[in-house]
Formats: sequence, C-alpha cells, structure tokens
Amino acid sequence: MIESKGLTKRYGDLVAVADIDFSIARGEVVGFLGPNGAGKTTTMRMLTGFLPPTDGTALIAGHDIFSDPIAARRAIGYLPETPPLYPEMRVESFLAYVAKIKDVPRAERGAAVDRAIARTALTDVRRQVIGTLSKGFRQRVGLAQAIVHNPPVLILDEPTAGLDPLQIREIRALIAELTAPSQGDTQQTVILSTHILAEVDAICRRVILINQGRKVVDAPLSELTTGGRTLDQIFTEHTARDAAFSMEGGIASKPGSAP
Amino acid sequence: MRHVASVAGRELRSLFVSPIAYGVLSLFAVLAGMFFILDLSWFEQALLQLQQYPDQLAELNLNDLLLHEFYGSISVVLLFLIPGITMGVYTSEKANGTEELLLTSPLTIWDIVLGKFAAGAIFIAAMVGIVGLFASVLFIYGDPEVGKTSSGLLGLLLTGWTYVAIGGLASAITRSQIVAFLITLVVLVTLLLLPGIAEFGIAGSGSGVAAMLRWLSVQLHFDPLLNGLVDTADLAYFAVMIGSFLVITKAAVESVRWR
Repeated sequence: MIESKGLTKRYGDLVAVADIDFSIARGEVVGFLGPNGAGKTTTMRMLTGFLPPTDGTALIAGHDIFSDPIAARRAIGYLPETPPLYPEMRVESFLAYVAKIKDVPRAERGAAVDRAIARTALTDVRRQVIGTLSKGFRQRVGLAQAIVHNPPVLILDEPTAGLDPLQIREIRALIAELTAPSQGDTQQTVILSTHILAEVDAICRRVILINQGRKVVDAPLSELTTGGRTLDQIFTEHTARDAAFSMEGGIASKPGSAP
Repeated sequence: MRHVASVAGRELRSLFVSPIAYGVLSLFAVLAGMFFILDLSWFEQALLQLQQYPDQLAELNLNDLLLHEFYGSISVVLLFLIPGITMGVYTSEKANGTEELLLTSPLTIWDIVLGKFAAGAIFIAAMVGIVGLFASVLFIYGDPEVGKTSSGLLGLLLTGWTYVAIGGLASAITRSQIVAFLITLVVLVTLLLLPGIAEFGIAGSGSGVAAMLRWLSVQLHFDPLLNGLVDTADLAYFAVMIGSFLVITKAAVESVRWR
C-alpha cells in the first residue's frame, strides 16, 4: 500500500532524510518512531506530496507520487502535526469542503461527511464553528478531515501531541477503531508518527524507527519485544549512540563525503 | 482546473461569515454614497453657474462631469480597500495550516490560485454593482449615455481585478497579513503615481523608460474607458497585468515545495 524507495531530502548540505526504504502492506498499522528532529515529519510530507523528495520516490496505493501525484494524493488521508482547520467554518461544512476537494462524488458527499462525523464522535458539535472547539475536539476534526474520503492510506503526524491524558486515550481508541474496519469501510493502512512509546505499544503492530534521517529499525513489535526487552530500551539503544555521534558530527551526517 | 469553483466557493463563504466582508462592503457603500452626493451637488452648482453661458451649458453633461468624477473617486477608494480584502487570502492558509491540506489534496496549484482570484473578482463585482446602482439613479432623473456609463463600470471592474491579482501575490509571498497589506498598498500607490513619475522622474518624459512607466500605469488605461473609449489595447493591458500577477502567484504558492 505504501512503498518508499530511497526517499531522501537534503537541504543544501544538511541531510534531513537519507535513503529511506520500506514497504507497508494493506491493513498494517505502523508506528513511525524517532526522536524529535529525526525526520519523521519530513518523510511524511514527502509521502503526502507536500514536499518533493530530493531523491527516491514512493508509491501510494500503486500510484507514484511523481508521475501520478493526483491519484496518489486522492488515496491519502493526512493529519499534519497541526490539524489543518479553518476556524471560521462549521465542522460539517468544513468536512463537506474537504470531501469536495478530495474528489468525493457530489452524490456521496453528504453520506461521507456523516460517516466521518460519526466515526470521530463529532455529532454533538457538527454545527459548531471550529474556532470555538477545544483542542481535543479540533484534533478529532483533524482526524475526520483525514478520513472523510475513506482513503486506503492514513498518514498521521503525532496525532496525540499536546492533548491531555484523557483526550490521548480517546484519540488512540479512535485510531484503533479506524484500523478495524466495519460495514463497508476500506481497510485502512496507517502510518502514525510519534515519539511516545506507549502509543506504539497501544496501537501499532510494526515499528519503523528512524534516527538522524536514517532507518535504524524496521520490525514487528512482537519480534522486537521478545526476550523481555521493552520498546524503551530499543529506542534508547538505537538513538543514544547516534546522539553521541551528533555531538561531534553536527545535526546530520553527510553520507560518504568529506569536504 | 476542476476545483476552481470549490476553492472560490469556500473563499467567498469564509469572507461572508467574517465581519470583514460586511465591514468592507458597508464602508464602501457609505464612501461611494458620499462621493456620489458630493459630485452631484458639485454638478448642480456648475449647472447654476453656467446658466449665463448657454454655449458652455450645452457642453455640460452627466457623463463627462458627474460620472467621470464619481468613477475616478471610486477607483481611489478601491485602491485603499482592496489591500484589506486580499491580505488574508494566502496568509490565513499558512496560519491555519490548511496550506498543507490544499497542497496534499488532489488539486492543482492553478485550482488554488484561480479559485482564490475568482472569489476576489466576484467580491469586486459586487462592489462595482453598488457603484452601478448609484449611476443608475441618474437614468431616472437625466439621460446619461448608456455606453459611457457602462464602459466606466467596466474600467472599475478591471482596475479592481488588477488590484486583487496584485494583492493576492503580496499575500502569497509573506506569512504576515499586515506585511501583505502594506506591500499591496505601496505597490498600488506606486502604480497610481507612475504617470507623474514618468513626467518628472529622472527618466525624462520622452525616454523609453518613461513610455514604459506610462504603459504600466493603471490610470492611463482606465481613463479611456471612463471616456467611453473601449480600446483592445487597454483591455489587453488589464489581461496582461492580471495574467502576469497570477502566474507569479502560482510560482510563489508552489515555492513552498522547493524551500
């Protein structure tokens, strides 16, 4: 469903993401882990077509993000780090607009909006102006706009950042629900970025860990935690060594070159 | 280009749920009314004074004296109001994070740029409609020429659209509404002063640079329309101005991807 082939993003000499390969099958829920600044957001932005990769490409539901960007984008539901919302719009008219620009046919739009509202438990506030909603509700509207067109691929960038523990639990339950499809919804493939390890434990079955723009771990969660190792240990082990390295080598290393 | 109307529709709806649109429209109606009454009483005075000179009185007509003045004042009002209308067109998308939603949706950049321009163009058309209402009052009490009256309105419309295209670009190149407002205002005032700069500037009034400056001036292409002269060269000027600013705006919106 999602195939990343050597995705690379360079900003001048700075390598933000280096040669990331992975392949995610339909229905998988993958935790995209890494310390802050590891390149999670940049990778997700490349997958969604917001940023063009310097090198490499990706296939979303079989569509190349370069040669067939419109079809690739149609297949993606994306929740950026800050949910993209128009504060002056009402929840339902905002979702109707998103459905429209995501190419949901006119006849199906009403039903699509109703379903997204029901799945994200927004029924009570559907007529409310987004700017008046609490942060937790806004995050849910953000999720609703990501799923309104029932996309096969969901890309969620830190969906629980900045929420209180109760809201975090709600959002997690919601994501878990989204990935267990019911009556006629597409089974969604999910990439979810986070630096909260408990989140991965709670919802994901596979972990991709990146550090300093490179993939360092890619394995099923069950495999990683055999022998009683915790995710915490694995995370520290793979990021600490490089953290020490970064003290001398700068933010990111330049592959195979010296000035 | 399938989504120009979707983008334009949302843009207009957002304008009209905020008090800005109503504020601008009411302010505009009041100012237009004021100028109309001023020009009308001035015309009446001229009428009385010229009673003693029948030959000059015959020259006096509603179009050349009253409407010419009235439309001229309105064009200046537009110059000061339009920066306020356009300042948020792109800056608000950046502030809301919805830029990321638009650029990861199956839309083309032209859908976004043309949609936003169309919304502004419709808003200006509404303002010119108000001006048309004032002008139409004259048809009840006098007999102005239909041709001159409407070519003047066309001139106002094209002038307004040019200003909207310029304001849109200013809004696309900055993150701050106030900066967008100021850039637009400075550019529009400079455009207004161009004929003067061409006459007295360092270039000298006969040089090619002066001819160039004169060609760039909105005023010198608006004036023939005020006088009832619809010349393709003037229409082409507005088309070229609007078209160029839209092309640059498209590049500016796209540039987010390449930074």
